[in-house]
Amino acid sequence: MYYYLYDSFLSDKKYVQSLAKIENRLIDLGINGKVEKMSVLKSIKEVVEDNVKSGADTIIAVGNDKTFSKVFPIVAAQSNVTFGYIPIGNGTIAKILGIPATEKACDVLSARIIEKIDIGKVNNHYFFSSVEVPQAKDVSLECNGGHFSISSMNNADHIQICNLSYTPINTEKHKNICNPKDGLLEVVFTPKEKGAFGKDKFTTKKQSVFPIRKIKIRSNDTVSLTADGETVVKTPATVEVLNRKLSIIVGKERSF
Amino acid sequence: MFKNQEGEITEKETETIIGPSVKVEGDFHGEGSIVVEGQVIGTLKTNQDLRIGPNAKVKADVEAANVLIAGEVVGDLYIKEKVELKNSAKVIGDITTKIISIEAGASLNGKCVCDQNASTERKEETSKPKLRNGKTSKPEVL
Repeated sequence: MYYYLYDSFLSDKKYVQSLAKIENRLIDLGINGKVEKMSVLKSIKEVVEDNVKSGADTIIAVGNDKTFSKVFPIVAAQSNVTFGYIPIGNGTIAKILGIPATEKACDVLSARIIEKIDIGKVNNHYFFSSVEVPQAKDVSLECNGGHFSISSMNNADHIQICNLSYTPINTEKHKNICNPKDGLLEVVFTPKEKGAFGKDKFTTKKQSVFPIRKIKIRSNDTVSLTADGETVVKTPATVEVLNRKLSIIVGKERSF
Repeated sequence: MFKNQEGEITEKETETIIGPSVKVEGDFHGEGSIVVEGQVIGTLKTNQDLRIGPNAKVKADVEAANVLIAGEVVGDLYIKEKVELKNSAKVIGDITTKIISIEAGASLNGKCVCDQNASTERKEETSKPKLRNGKTSKPEVL
């Protein structure tokens, strides 16, 4: 049974037509199901859990990348539930998953290509793409149960722990680094250099890449970490990979 | 294996890259190929290829299948197949391997054992006491 979760921003009038097209296409394909609209008064977690109990085996988030980030941790925590996504407009996650926007996404859902992919966990918070450490100064990363530590020598590195990254440098080379099915996270140090007109720019040529399963982030002063674009935890933090934790419907054009 | 200064390890084969801005301290055991352009202090071990770039500084005992060295290494090397020292290489330590290639200009201060039948496994028990964190470790008296 399919269960569709619409983000609250979709109640705006300008989305009425897009939603109507999606709903018509879902009926044509025979994959329509129960629809719930998110609001500040409803807890997404409770709504998802109630529907899973009453037999929903596929939860579809309808919205943008933020909607995706809000819903997937709740679905990942359920067992035997598949996650799907209908992007409204163009989003980065949709591109990586090979899902076209609005009603065309319905065909991808209908084709039902399911991949089991890794997700990351930083303390108790799940993340899909990456965790970013805003500063490298006085930050050290301990891997392999503290057998070795990694630190930046110039304090100007951008540090990311990636499961499926798309920032800060959206290049083909950077995308190739992360495979969400390898059971590993990649710690990426990208140095900043002074470019034209004194602006900082990232240099991928001097990047450092460490494949890891679990890492501890420590710092002298408290540093706020950002997971999937939202600040979630402060140091010290433990980041680990959860191997093949999420079953997700993907398109043929996916980038992994 | 390696053909030129840049090395033949391609992006896909490379799994760990220690860039010039990064320092690794401790026992670093990699599962794939490793490229070192920064600093490593402790031990460095992989069952695949290792490339130590011209600006890299490694103060560690090293174990690998093949190694190409263009930078500075202070420590013993236990290499299963081939060691290649480029002209900018500077090695202070013993090398145990099957094949070695030393380019004119490379510096090697240490004992070198090259034997097709030699065991290149690191012998923990028989190794001499090592300096770690600036302190001399003394053998324990039982």
